[in-house]
Amino acid sequence: MISDGLRILRYAAASGFADFRTIYTVRTWITGWLFRVLCQVSFFALIGRLIDSPEYTEYLLIGNAVMIAAMESLFVVASTSWERWTGSVPLLIAAPASLALVLCGRSVQWLASGTASATLALFLLSPLFGVDLRLPMALVVIPLIALVGLSTYCFGLILGGLVLRADSLRNVVGNLTMLSLMAISGAQVPVSVWPDWLQALSAVLPVHHGLAAIRGVLSAEMGFTEVLMHVGMEAIVGTASLGVAILGFKRFAESGRRSGAIEFGS
Amino acid sequence: MTESSPLAVAVADLTRTFVRSRSRLPGRLKRRPPESRTALDAITLTVPSGEVHGLLGPNGAGKTTLCKILSTVLIPTSGIAKVFGHDVVVSTTRVRPLVGVVLGGERGLYTRLTARQNLMYWSALYRQPTSEGAERTAKLLERLGLEERADERVETFSRGMKQRLHLARGLVGNPRLLILDEPTVGLDPAAARDFRGLVRQLRAEGRTILLTTHDMTEAEELCDRVTLIDSGKLLGTEDPRTIGEWLSAWERVTAEGVPAELIDRIRKVEGVAGVEIDSEGRITVETAGDGTSAAVLSLLVDGGVTSLSTSRPSLEEVYLHLIGSRGLNVG
Ligand SMILES: Nc1ncnc2c1ncn2[C@@H]1O[C@H](COP(=O)(O)OP(=O)(O)O)[C@@H](O)[C@H]1O
Ligand SMILES: [Mg+2]
Repeated sequence: MISDGLRILRYAAASGFADFRTIYTVRTWITGWLFRVLCQVSFFALIGRLIDSPEYTEYLLIGNAVMIAAMESLFVVASTSWERWTGSVPLLIAAPASLALVLCGRSVQWLASGTASATLALFLLSPLFGVDLRLPMALVVIPLIALVGLSTYCFGLILGGLVLRADSLRNVVGNLTMLSLMAISGAQVPVSVWPDWLQALSAVLPVHHGLAAIRGVLSAEMGFTEVLMHVGMEAIVGTASLGVAILGFKRFAESGRRSGAIEFGS
Repeated sequence: MTESSPLAVAVADLTRTFVRSRSRLPGRLKRRPPESRTALDAITLTVPSGEVHGLLGPNGAGKTTLCKILSTVLIPTSGIAKVFGHDVVVSTTRVRPLVGVVLGGERGLYTRLTARQNLMYWSALYRQPTSEGAERTAKLLERLGLEERADERVETFSRGMKQRLHLARGLVGNPRLLILDEPTVGLDPAAARDFRGLVRQLRAEGRTILLTTHDMTEAEELCDRVTLIDSGKLLGTEDPRTIGEWLSAWERVTAEGVPAELIDRIRKVEGVAGVEIDSEGRITVETAGDGTSAAVLSLLVDGGVTSLSTSRPSLEEVYLHLIGSRGLNVG
């Protein structure tokens, strides 16, 4: 059963990576995408330079680099509805395996690309902005960046399930979520500046805890157990999101069976 | 196979209505009551295991709706549908492994993956072990003549190749019931002929096939029995030979340059249902009886008319005849 599921995820991921390869080659990924990412992170880090604060420069650099992983993972919101365009949804519903499994796997290309570009942004730009990440200890943050990407991916799957029903919203929803996460999860300003309710909201969304753990590791000022707690919280947010997303996909399939809204063939 | 029901498909009083999505008019304008449309109207149908059953009907008859219900993609409004004894609404986990579904058209394939990757993907979705999946994939690719292009991306395939890959996809889970919804639409005649050859092979393997079509020749050629459907209602189930008889009985003869006196004589031939004359003086003779078109043809030839041809009646014309002449055991 589990190995069946993994195999389906692997094929779904292969179809996602095949989509990805039609968008980027290695070269255009570097000259196009990565360049854009470096510019974006540098833009925010420059604000710290502008006000002549090395601490804030470091804060912004780390926050915005990690945010890249979340930003790319959120492309899952749009690409979930690409599955509808291929016309495979009714065939997937007719198949014994779950549609949810395919939808969970078909966008992981963003997760991979996001983790890579966030990591590169962090390690390439730090020296330019005079930020000492204290290598090699800093390499520990790479899996943490992947974790932030993964939990955001799972959260994006929930939104992807909603957007499946309202295809025209697919880009708006992803972008608005991205901007909100950027604002409230501690990337630009400490979470503590926000009102309590917004802090509470941020704490159940992805990025917040993962980013806190990454900052803790890089500053070497946070105790091991505290880091571990943040990591655990990020993992819980991701797992819970995944659960909700799977329920959402199942409901999409069931409501489609009832309404007849699942198009069949061309 | 554990329990085996002799009936591959058993449908009783099956109805499906669609409610039109709410109109997008501003709320200020009168809200209309939701419009509902009956795609299937209390149909009852059985298909025994091993049969190739045709569902023949014009566009909008409800064929695809029935295919969707039987493949668990759509829930009926009322009535019961069972596949090998399992209810398609509640026992989806039992039904899905038994059914393969192939749609007309090109969509539903992962065009950026290769043919082989597509089949391996779907074999995983049909829970085939990897080694078995690889073996079935290789066999199906060979059988459907896709071997040489097996490792090329599907987006480079012709329509006929995509359609064959769809059939392979439908077969990769080794289904006992194969549902083919207008599988030859859009194929060129040669590809359609190959496709029919494949259906015959599948029948020989003992698979049950439900095939929808609006092509009477196709239904006559491929099916063991044919059910006629129109506007969501079944008009009856027939032997394909009967359809062949209708096709020849209601043959049409067209001719040009026929003298008026000869037209009058044709009108009097027994079995001629009507003669239409168009603005260019071309006549179309509708016949309703075996041998009538032959009689009309010989009259025309004897009268020196050289520009003539015969054609098979369209499905709509046959339906008109049938409903008019009550030649159908409606039920
Ligand atoms: N999802 C749907 N929503 C509304 N009406 C539909 C839907 N699917 C089919 N119909 C209507 O049901 C009728 C039967 O359609 P269909 O089963 O596709 O016919 P066929 O396949 O024989 O051409 C048609 O009138 C069609 O417009
Ligand atoms: Mg149809």
